[in-house]
Amino acid sequence: MNFRIFAATAIVFSMLFTACSSDDEVITPVDPVDGTEDIVVTENISTDTEWCDNVYVLGGRIAVEAGATLTICPGTIVKGQAGTGVNATVLLIARGATIMAEGTADAPIIFTSVADNISLDNVAAGEFASPNLDPDFNGLWGGVIVLGNATISASNESDEDVSEVQIEGIPSSDANGLYGGNNDEDNSGVMTYISIRHGGANIGEGNEINGLTLGGVGSGTVVSNIEVVANQDDGIEWFGGTVNVSNAVVWNVGDDAIDTDQAWAGTLDNFVVVTPSGNCFELDGPEGTYVARHTIQNGTVRAIFDGRVIGGSLINTDSNTPVDMKNVHFLAPLDDAGEFLTITDDKFDSATFENVTFDTDESNLAAIMEQGGAIPAGISAGGSSAADISKFQWTWAHIAGGLDF
Amino acid sequence: MKQIVTLVLFIFSSLVAFSNDTQGIIRGTIIEDATGLTVIGANIMVNELGTGTTTDLDGAFALSLEPGTYTFTISYVGFEDIVIKDVEVKPAEISVLGEIRMQDSALQLKEVVISARAVRTTEAALVTIKRKTPAMIDGISSSLMKLTGDGSAVDAAQRVTGVSIEGGKYVYVRGLGDRYSKTTLNGVDIPGLDPDRNTIQMDIFPTSLLNNIIVSKNFTAEMPADFTGGLINLETKDFPEDRIMSASVSFGYNPSMNLNNEFLTYQGSSTDWLGFDNGARGLPTGARAQNIPIAFSSQYSADQVNAFVSDFSPVLGTETSTSFLDYSASFSFGNQKKIGGADSNVDKGTLGYMFSLSYKNDYTQYDDYFNGEYQRFAQSDAYELRYANTQDGTVSEQSTVIGALAVLAYKKKYSKIRLTAMRLQNGEKRAGQFNIDNSGEAVGQSGYLGIRDNLEYNQRSLSNILLNGVHTFGNNGWELDWRVSPTLSTSDDPDIRVAGLSVGGPKGYQINAGEVGNPQRVWRSLSETNIVGKADLTKKYKFKNNDAKLKFGSSYSYKVRDYEILTYNWVNAGGQLQFEEYDLGFLMSPENIYPNGLNVYYQSGNGNPNPNAYNSYATNMAFYVSNEAELLPNLNVIVGLRGENFTQFHTGGSGDNFLDNEKVLDAFDLFPSANLVYAVTENMNFRMAYSKTIARPSFKELSFAQIIDPLSNRIFNGSLFDSYSDWDGNLVETRINNFDVRWELFQNRGQMFSVSGFYKQFDNPIELVRIPESQTSADFQPRNVGDGELYGVEFEVRKSFEFISAALKNLSFNTNITFVESRIDMTDREFNSRLNYERVGESVSNTRQMAGQSPCVVNFGLVYNNPDAGLDAGLFYNVKGKTLEIVSSGLYPDVYLNSFNSLNFSINKKVGKDQNTTIDLKASNLLNDSVERVFSSFNAADQYFTRYSPGISFSLGLSHKF
Repeated sequence: MNFRIFAATAIVFSMLFTACSSDDEVITPVDPVDGTEDIVVTENISTDTEWCDNVYVLGGRIAVEAGATLTICPGTIVKGQAGTGVNATVLLIARGATIMAEGTADAPIIFTSVADNISLDNVAAGEFASPNLDPDFNGLWGGVIVLGNATISASNESDEDVSEVQIEGIPSSDANGLYGGNNDEDNSGVMTYISIRHGGANIGEGNEINGLTLGGVGSGTVVSNIEVVANQDDGIEWFGGTVNVSNAVVWNVGDDAIDTDQAWAGTLDNFVVVTPSGNCFELDGPEGTYVARHTIQNGTVRAIFDGRVIGGSLINTDSNTPVDMKNVHFLAPLDDAGEFLTITDDKFDSATFENVTFDTDESNLAAIMEQGGAIPAGISAGGSSAADISKFQWTWAHIAGGLDF
Repeated sequence: MKQIVTLVLFIFSSLVAFSNDTQGIIRGTIIEDATGLTVIGANIMVNELGTGTTTDLDGAFALSLEPGTYTFTISYVGFEDIVIKDVEVKPAEISVLGEIRMQDSALQLKEVVISARAVRTTEAALVTIKRKTPAMIDGISSSLMKLTGDGSAVDAAQRVTGVSIEGGKYVYVRGLGDRYSKTTLNGVDIPGLDPDRNTIQMDIFPTSLLNNIIVSKNFTAEMPADFTGGLINLETKDFPEDRIMSASVSFGYNPSMNLNNEFLTYQGSSTDWLGFDNGARGLPTGARAQNIPIAFSSQYSADQVNAFVSDFSPVLGTETSTSFLDYSASFSFGNQKKIGGADSNVDKGTLGYMFSLSYKNDYTQYDDYFNGEYQRFAQSDAYELRYANTQDGTVSEQSTVIGALAVLAYKKKYSKIRLTAMRLQNGEKRAGQFNIDNSGEAVGQSGYLGIRDNLEYNQRSLSNILLNGVHTFGNNGWELDWRVSPTLSTSDDPDIRVAGLSVGGPKGYQINAGEVGNPQRVWRSLSETNIVGKADLTKKYKFKNNDAKLKFGSSYSYKVRDYEILTYNWVNAGGQLQFEEYDLGFLMSPENIYPNGLNVYYQSGNGNPNPNAYNSYATNMAFYVSNEAELLPNLNVIVGLRGENFTQFHTGGSGDNFLDNEKVLDAFDLFPSANLVYAVTENMNFRMAYSKTIARPSFKELSFAQIIDPLSNRIFNGSLFDSYSDWDGNLVETRINNFDVRWELFQNRGQMFSVSGFYKQFDNPIELVRIPESQTSADFQPRNVGDGELYGVEFEVRKSFEFISAALKNLSFNTNITFVESRIDMTDREFNSRLNYERVGESVSNTRQMAGQSPCVVNFGLVYNNPDAGLDAGLFYNVKGKTLEIVSSGLYPDVYLNSFNSLNFSINKKVGKDQNTTIDLKASNLLNDSVERVFSSFNAADQYFTRYSPGISFSLGLSHKF
């Protein structure tokens, strides 16, 4: 009987410890279809590096760290792998790092998703449009973020001024995500003839990555001839800083087209916005005690009504938004049904307007002002396209006919 | 299942086989009345036969006798003899005399004569242990658990003085937070089942498997040093003195939860009723690949993407069903048997065994579940709070717990070895649906309305083996107790699904990434293995003719944890989606999966390496020595010193912040302790104690982990991240000095009265701090904050109403009350942030109470106990004071847990032959109170952080001893 009890106990034990054990799943990789000879980048860039004559694949959040320079040759393609959250693919130019991405109208530098079949040969042949992706597919990868040492107007949640904060979209544990300082002439390098497409991956509830984020970037930096296509979040967003941007196209973004925060003190000159959702302009005031003004001038804006599901505004300002808007023309601010996109805030205490025109009848103008507010000085009906479209011949937006106004 | 049936029959037949003997057996245990300790080597003489036996190392004896009536005489040097009359031996039956208490011969009579009547284990035994133990302890025994009708350890534990329960799962002592409590099983460390906690979830321990719960409130050298509030030890059942076979069933009913035809649920797996998922919620094949199949990819064909996406369960939303009654059942049997036959004169030892199995299935539904986020206005004269986000809706939960315990023990006169194996399995299936209202007026909010469904499944298991030996080496005063105990625990949340739609747009509903967001799925898993080995040696000796004790020993523990979170985001390529009705099924229907319809596919949120994963292990080598002696008349002094050498290694992180099996903690500490017990009279003690203890950072805290909570979107950052202006990445242990005093009076029949005071001083306490650099997400990091201290006072009374009238001798009350005042020095940052939000008329101080520290805990019980009628009844009340739970970040005010007034009633009646059948009835939350956590700000109405109503519930149970 002793043996039987021992045996029984052994059975009990073996049942106790074998029952219910969850099977470790064996992962069988799916065979990938044979790809091209792309160079996958998985580590931060801490020494001077050149990306030329290849397709470079961002394998994650790749930071160019302080002191290093990343040079990207004309005609180069950079593709982001798919990912969300901490896995979102981003090219991050950290504070103190330099980007030298000097594309040309004949050989632009294209940032896109790995899902995009566009090849170096396509670019060399002048075929800048994606061969397989529609120009409204968004959220396929992250975006491009440039950070610098120029002044920002920020505060912490206790309303105290802070000189540096963490850029949205980058976890606070990554120190490369800090921006802001006191060098308004800071130089983060040169970015010309850049097309950023299909980005804006979701990284949490209400938190996505902009096409091009400029945080505390100084006036020594050159940013011109930029195109953002089908980004799930904003097109271009400035967080303080002093950098000027010229010749910019924002096409088919999922949220706001032009977004300014934290007292950006620069000029956006010659631009086109064509957007099916969000605000055309989301312009916010300083968050700290430091105040500086920015200028938005010489642009043409078209809000697309067809398929628009989020309301959005033509211009969304706060009472303290320090913007001077000049020579901006809004095409078709109302749809066939006679519905308007509106101007949200009628408290333009800090904003000024000069020759801001709406392609509609004078009689409609009052209705454009939400809450029936008075039409500010400098806003009128009539006018014509104010952007110099000739500067945008190289863009996908132009090639696809998106700029045929 | 077939195996179990076979096994049951197998052991059953062995029980039947045994009962063929004609002799009967008498068993009993001899204990020293003054100390509650067992007496080894006491003589038991059967007067009629002139023969007898002696007690073993447990103070136990067993005699096989022909049927008849006998008189026993029990004797031991220094104690008065006890004569027990009318001991009846029945053919082939075991009779248990129970505990026989011997008194010092210096007292009163030479001989005590009692009649043989079994004295059941009661609170009285626990009170005796408490009276003489060097540490200040409190506890609850299996008999009281039975009386109160508490089903799980967590319900039972809250009856213990100074104990409070958080979240229905976690036990805190004296209101100190989770960080300062510790749970052990049979005296050895067990891993927790929650990556965010120090203590274990106690709701998975059925009381039917437990012998007692003992809470030690001050440290002595033989205990682990990493607790401050209390050390909670769960002792599983040992082998029985008597042959037992019992079964019980019970049913519970809550009008708002059971038999409810709007009970929320979702399609799970076919084994959910057994507490685990059979793989239906498993990770799709290939989901771990660095590049999962995505739409438009040149790497994967459309068919591959479609097959991959289709492998995810299409269920994203809740459905309704009808809930059944709560029900539970348990079964246990056990016996002991002398090897070589009951009448053998050769001591071949005794074998004991026990097996217990329990099953429980509960339904919970809160129809009024509310979550809120409220902010203060910037203007200092705007007192009222405004909402940033509210969610109200319904949460349902179906919980299944299975517990199995097997004990096998072998005992010879001076040695005992026992092997205990336990397996607990718990599955909780939750489904919730909420209406969301986000206010664009509030700071940092975008403003929207929406509906969201959450589907969750949490499965936890714990497998523990204990091998324990006790050896007394004859009667020479030496005792060796050694234990080896491996434990494996797991906690998995397979396929948490969060999906919803924003309300708005031309059709009524839409998917908006910036509002309710895209659907998300999460797989979270934790496994921990723990191995503990320890040995304790005790030498009893005489110091100035009084008993004294020298103890020393050492222990080694190793624990290793694997943790991982995998997330996947539902995406559709193309524009925003609009819907005419709230139908989540549409989002994963086959006609919408890439390359069809909406082009639905998943994006991976898992980096390589994954910052949401880590592997850590820790070792702790400890030794101690302590001595207990009566240095002055009636003054017992126990001094001890413990040394612990603790190391912790970590693998995890990403990028530049990656550790590959690197040492993150290596410290040797000495923990002195001193306990003075002054026996004012035989029944009255005055105690004083000092000790030093420690609270170490957890695996997760000493890491580069970066963990996103899928439901709240809060981000936890390991302490090693040092890129912040006010944190250097160097998290250190908290060291605590503890001072205790207690006065206690013991009276007969377990009556007692005690008053305690305590003071604790904390160096470098750790709290979770919000990271100021992070503007757009809620990032938290554990950091050392300003020093803290607390002091408190505790009262406990157990009193029979006999003092009013002899007729009330069966009615008694017990109450215990704890008051605590705690203080933390705020960091400058916290103080400044509070000053910035100071309201007109408010005066912000630079100190506050410790988070998680209740200002008071009150337990009250009125108990009627009539053994002759087999009737027990009790009314129990439990409440704790409004407690700070989440520390304010300025904009968001402090969150407090309001008092929950818990009033429960239970009654049980034994009926039938030998009172073998018990019927019990229990009613819970008779005051119908709600659980409320509130934002509290100066001069403003409180606003709910969470609120739900458990309702009043009833249960009826039946148990029978065969």
